[in-house]
Amino acid sequence: METKIYKEGDVTTVKFIGRLDTPAAQEVTKEIESVMDAASGTVIMDCSEMTYISSSGLRIFLSLRKAAATKGGEIIVKSISNDIRQVFMMTGFLNLFQIQD
Amino acid sequence: MKQVNKYLRKSVWTGLLLVVIAAATLEATGLIQYYFSRKMLTEEARQRAESEMALARQKIESVMTTVETATENLSWTAGLILESPEYFFIPIRRMMETNDIIMDAALAFTDGFYPERGKWFEPLVARRGDGFEEMVLGSESHDYMTAEWFTKPILTGKGSWSEPYFDDIAGMTTVITYSVPLKDTTGAIVGVAAADITMEWLNALMGQIQLYPDSYGTIVNGNGTLLASPPETLKFANPLRYTSSVGDTGWSMSVVIPEESVFGGMKHINTLVLLLQLLGLAMIFLILRSAAKSQIRYQELNEKKQVMESELHIAHGIQMAMLPNIFPPFPERNDIDMFAFLDPAKEVGGDLYDFFIRNDKLYFCIGDVSGKGVPASLVMAVTRSLFRTVSAHERSPLHIVTNMNDSMSDTNEDTMFVTFFCGILDLLNGHLRYCNAGHNGPLLLGDTVRNLPVEPNIPLGIVSGAAFKEQEADLAYGEGIFLYTDGITEAEDKNHNMFGEERVKSVLAGGNGMAKDKLAKLKKAISDFVGGAVQSDDMTTVLIRYMNDRNPDTMERHLILHNDIQQIPQLAGFVEAIAQEKHLDQSLAMSLNLALEEVVTNVIMYAYPEGADGLVDIEAIIRKESIDFLVIDSGTPFDPTTVPAANIDAPAEDRPIGGLGIYLVKSIMDTVEYKRYEGKNILSMTKKI
Repeated sequence: METKIYKEGDVTTVKFIGRLDTPAAQEVTKEIESVMDAASGTVIMDCSEMTYISSSGLRIFLSLRKAAATKGGEIIVKSISNDIRQVFMMTGFLNLFQIQD
Repeated sequence: MKQVNKYLRKSVWTGLLLVVIAAATLEATGLIQYYFSRKMLTEEARQRAESEMALARQKIESVMTTVETATENLSWTAGLILESPEYFFIPIRRMMETNDIIMDAALAFTDGFYPERGKWFEPLVARRGDGFEEMVLGSESHDYMTAEWFTKPILTGKGSWSEPYFDDIAGMTTVITYSVPLKDTTGAIVGVAAADITMEWLNALMGQIQLYPDSYGTIVNGNGTLLASPPETLKFANPLRYTSSVGDTGWSMSVVIPEESVFGGMKHINTLVLLLQLLGLAMIFLILRSAAKSQIRYQELNEKKQVMESELHIAHGIQMAMLPNIFPPFPERNDIDMFAFLDPAKEVGGDLYDFFIRNDKLYFCIGDVSGKGVPASLVMAVTRSLFRTVSAHERSPLHIVTNMNDSMSDTNEDTMFVTFFCGILDLLNGHLRYCNAGHNGPLLLGDTVRNLPVEPNIPLGIVSGAAFKEQEADLAYGEGIFLYTDGITEAEDKNHNMFGEERVKSVLAGGNGMAKDKLAKLKKAISDFVGGAVQSDDMTTVLIRYMNDRNPDTMERHLILHNDIQQIPQLAGFVEAIAQEKHLDQSLAMSLNLALEEVVTNVIMYAYPEGADGLVDIEAIIRKESIDFLVIDSGTPFDPTTVPAANIDAPAEDRPIGGLGIYLVKSIMDTVEYKRYEGKNILSMTKKI
């Protein structure tokens, strides 16, 4: 699992490459703390190269979503695969996030 | 044992015979030595006696010759002066002056030779101390004419020695007389010239013959009259007596030596020798007795050995009774054909095998304890019962092996270890799970004989907490797994060539023979190969042939993880393999992966106390229309199905962080059930496919 984070103005993009399983999620949680702080702006979660997600991964999305809600920011989930969309759907996450193709 | 007794009896007889021979030899030696010593001593005594007698004889002859010569001279001189008898004393006296030995000497004339002097005329000179006494004898009361010394020379015309007689004139002692005829100028005998010598010198001479203590000499004359002997002589039993004649006197001289004097020393030596012989015999006896004792000890040891052997025999019986040894073991089943044998090298051995069926699964094992004999067999017994105890509540070979290893390492103080192979064969589908612990890998018997791939791992009982790896394989109908101990491949012939794995393979190859026949064939091949060589190690084999011909519609896969979150990615590969085999689509595979991850993560994170090592077992049972997952742990009892599912309709602000996992599991799987069974949490879930 690899995570790339880059900023353009007040837009922060987080790109997930590979499987976001439990051990990967533990790694990502540390890396994404700075993104939490920037949750007042727009955060794009780039899932175009994410192949798998488990509940631990979903919790990272939920934590960001909560941070954004308190700071007035916005979370956009971008380019999720059908399988992951399925997971989002099962967990009601589709209703919590703005999903972009 | 009979042979030993026979040997013992034989050696006791041999011992006795030895003692008798030794005694006889010693006695014979003693006798020979006695005989020769005696002969030698006798010879020595004879020689000494001879030489002593020769010396004495010389002395006697010299004395007698002196006396004879002097007497003959006197006779001759007197013959010349027969006309002047008043002068007769002069030559007699001169003769005595020159011959100390002569006590008295006389001339005695025949009846009335000098008529003026009467019938008798005997002028005589007798020695008196240092001087001489002259006298004329011859009277009615002293009628010399009847005396032998007078008559004999006249009768024979020759000189002669008389018998000893008591002389009352010369010195009141026993004397002998030498007398010669006295002739006138015409040669007619007119009288006798005689000289007396006492026997004292002869007695003295005989007394000097002191060859040995108490030995003495004697002289007898021709008539057997004793002439001389020491004043006191002792009577001896069996004395040695040597005799020789003394010149032409007709005397014979004897030396008498008491036996004791000659052989006394030898008898002392003989006694000493006898004592030494007795000592020698006593020593032989003692040596033999100690030998007999050690033989008795040997016998006792043999009896002990016999007892021990019979105990070992019983132990062997107990050991064999522990192992399943009735074949076929499962006559009611037609999905399995198996046979096993264990041939211990000594009476009891360190090899073991075991098997049993539970829930259509054959649990089996084979093992080889390091070492041989009783200690190995005890460890073998412990190992076997541990296998039974542990496998009663474990369903994976890895757990069985790990548990057994931990138990054995904790209690192993004698550093004995066990190479062990444990397998579980699902008789419904031929799926084989196995875990090796340092044992030699089994062979797979199919169209060909090949090695079952095995992780070596380390033997049981070495390190507590050692990690083992479980492996799996599938057996098709008619295929078999052949387990063995190294006693099979390392069976040696007389030249120390090993039977080897290749021979095992070639014997087992080909045909669909029954397990029993195949193992009998193998046993014979080994026995032919080994020949007369002694079996050096236990030989154990187990052959299991899977005979279920139903097309297996289920298969099983297993994965065992440690409670380490970093092991989670292994689930992906596990599910991927199943998906490929069952041709499941990618989405379903991912869902199954997700459900498994949620459940397993839960166990890894929460089942075991912080820092404690624990395992998670994942079993996948893939059927035609469904997949079952079983996730098993030995942690604290926890039922994840009771965790409240997340409310997915709640707004983000109200959504709790937890509860997502179990919600996903329940969403993905068709059934999710929890049960606590024999100290384990078992979560089973099914997905229809």
